[in-house]
Amino acid sequence: MKSHFKMSVIRAPSGTPGPTADKACTHTQHIGELLQGNPNLWRGCDMAGQGCHGRSTGFPQLDDILPGRGWPDRGLVEIISPCWGMGELQLLIPLMRSTVEQGKWILWISPPYLLYAPALVQAGINTGQVLVVERDTSCKDALWSMEKALQTENCGLVLAWQNWLPGKVLRRLQLAAAAGDTLGVLFKHRDSEHSPSLVRIQIRGSQSQRDRFTRSEVTVIKARGNFRPLTTHVDLYQQI
Amino acid sequence: MEDPERTKQLSPSLAAKTAARVVKLPTRGETGVAKATRNGGATTGHKGSKRSHALWYALYLPQLEELALPQQRQYLNKLAALMQEVSSTVSFHPLALVCEIRSSLKYFGGIDVIHCRLGQLVTAQLVEWALADHFLYAVSPTVTGSLLLARSGHNALVYQKDNLRSALGQLSTEVLQLNREQNRRLYNMGVRHLRDIWRLPPAGLRRRFGSDFLNQLNQALGKVPEPTRNYLPPPAFLTCYDLPYELENLDRLLPVADEIFAQLCDFLRRRDLGTSQLLFSLQHEKRSCTEISIGLRQPSRSRKHLMLLLETHFSNLSIPAPVTAVKLEVTQFDAFVSHSDPLRTSEKWGRGKWGQTENSFDSGENQQRSGRKFYSGPIFPHPISPNDSNLNQLIEQLQARLGEHHVKSINSVAEHCPEYASQQTDYLEVDTPGKKRQAVATQVALHPRPFWLLEQPLQLRIRRGRLYHCKAITIVSGPERIETHWWSGTDVRRDYYVAREQNGSRLWIYRERGADKRWFLHGFFA
Repeated sequence: MKSHFKMSVIRAPSGTPGPTADKACTHTQHIGELLQGNPNLWRGCDMAGQGCHGRSTGFPQLDDILPGRGWPDRGLVEIISPCWGMGELQLLIPLMRSTVEQGKWILWISPPYLLYAPALVQAGINTGQVLVVERDTSCKDALWSMEKALQTENCGLVLAWQNWLPGKVLRRLQLAAAAGDTLGVLFKHRDSEHSPSLVRIQIRGSQSQRDRFTRSEVTVIKARGNFRPLTTHVDLYQQI
Repeated sequence: MEDPERTKQLSPSLAAKTAARVVKLPTRGETGVAKATRNGGATTGHKGSKRSHALWYALYLPQLEELALPQQRQYLNKLAALMQEVSSTVSFHPLALVCEIRSSLKYFGGIDVIHCRLGQLVTAQLVEWALADHFLYAVSPTVTGSLLLARSGHNALVYQKDNLRSALGQLSTEVLQLNREQNRRLYNMGVRHLRDIWRLPPAGLRRRFGSDFLNQLNQALGKVPEPTRNYLPPPAFLTCYDLPYELENLDRLLPVADEIFAQLCDFLRRRDLGTSQLLFSLQHEKRSCTEISIGLRQPSRSRKHLMLLLETHFSNLSIPAPVTAVKLEVTQFDAFVSHSDPLRTSEKWGRGKWGQTENSFDSGENQQRSGRKFYSGPIFPHPISPNDSNLNQLIEQLQARLGEHHVKSINSVAEHCPEYASQQTDYLEVDTPGKKRQAVATQVALHPRPFWLLEQPLQLRIRRGRLYHCKAITIVSGPERIETHWWSGTDVRRDYYVAREQNGSRLWIYRERGADKRWFLHGFFA
């Protein structure tokens, strides 16, 4: 490892005779690349040294600000939006597709409206691997179902709509997801500050007249591996 | 044959010495051979040496021959169930049933009682099926011997093995039911009766007619063992347990339930069965019992699995009164299918139990050093099937806790009207393959469809010439005209548009094509 490092340092200046600022830039790049390959090195800016292992959200701008360039493999994710239907499911389409392709199932726990099968088919999600727990389920039962589903490895993705949950419950769900190697997504209206979930994303409607309200404001409030909240503006409905 | 008066006098030992050596059984209604049977009854029930002392009652039903094979089998099954009343060993043969009656002689008090009883049962059943109500029968110490005697129509009773040779000897060779070529050959050899065969050398017979032929004769004479296929009654499991004291806490019932499930699993293992539906009832004093129906997605006989399901049921069950007794009944038996776990289920296997050894194999360093490439995928690639037991367990648990109608599967239907293009069915129903395939539409509309659909379309307001939901709405694309269901009275004539609300969400709205031209919100592109 060490010898490689030296060689690149020696080689770099001879190859690039440009100005000093450029040189410094290439050096940092080289060092960065070399360090990237080392699994023993923990770097704060990507998720526990996992590199780009995340599963894409389908929106490059959002991938850029997520550690691991996408959704984590397992754990709990919170998506916060002021009302349902702000484009939050658009972020999950590639994830749902890959889950189904892996032969795993998707469980929807008490979705707020009727889940519409033709939309799933259009998004390339096999409806044969989708299960829906009905809306009139009590909060307690819904959480119980979610925990059980998260513990089941074949249930790759669990989506649930719950408005307010105490941190203790969230932590329990997070642990269940970690144990079952599954990803749970919670949709909420309000953000709870000290949530133990891996990723917290807030979607706000566009406020600016300039882009004719097309680009929603997506904020990664928390992501394990990020230092501070990052915001980007994305047109969530690219296909429509 | 002899007259009935004389047969009455015959004891088995005497019968052995007499020339005829065959006792004629009484025809229906008569009660003959009382003495002979009393003697037979005395030698009842040496279980260890059952074969040598057994007496086989053969029931031959030539009238079944006209029926199709499956129906024959069904009828014989039914009759075998009836014959279980007199014997525990009933075996199937072509157009015939044979049961062992030596062990039941003492209990019933003689062959003629057994015979009358069987006669009544079988005749009543045959009349019910609108078949000829006569049947042929015979009793002898060997299964094949009884069958041959019954086929010949002699209705004979032979007690001793030694007498079989002469009793069978009188029978025509037709009873052997040989094929035409063999019959012809026998006829050309001058063989008309079985006694003619007794005189021929076995080696030559084997060469000319095959070993099956000789085996049949030896079996009839009791020289070689006769394997039979016995009737097995359909499985049933019902067990009760009276608690020593009343229990209010359901958790304290669990050890009892565990014990009962252990019995059940033992029973299922012995019969090589699984169960997919159970009824567990808790009985209370002066109240109707609480019934818990446990359904399984896949037949199982795992005690742990059943206990887990019962615990889930118990977790949200409230009982009206203390429990005095528990009862378990199996309502559905299924063939047991065992699951063999693949060596490695998924590529992520390396992270599991054997993670460390796995990593040392797969790491790049190791590959480079040895210069060999290790196959890092699964040894036997095995896609995780949706029917994996893991998932089934989850669904069962969900159904147990939430109720069977709360877990739905979803599929799209080839239907123009948006309301009917999506269908939610109970998960259980999906299993019937024909139904599923019929309903699922792989092709859907080309126009975009929303993830959320409102059950009732919501009328939109118009303010100062602009559409409003929560905020102002701008139409993005459309229209998509849908005109359908004119035949059902609820005419659907709509122009659908994709619209954008000022807070950034996309809506699926439509305008009625009628007199009103009202606007409705029908879904969200979430």
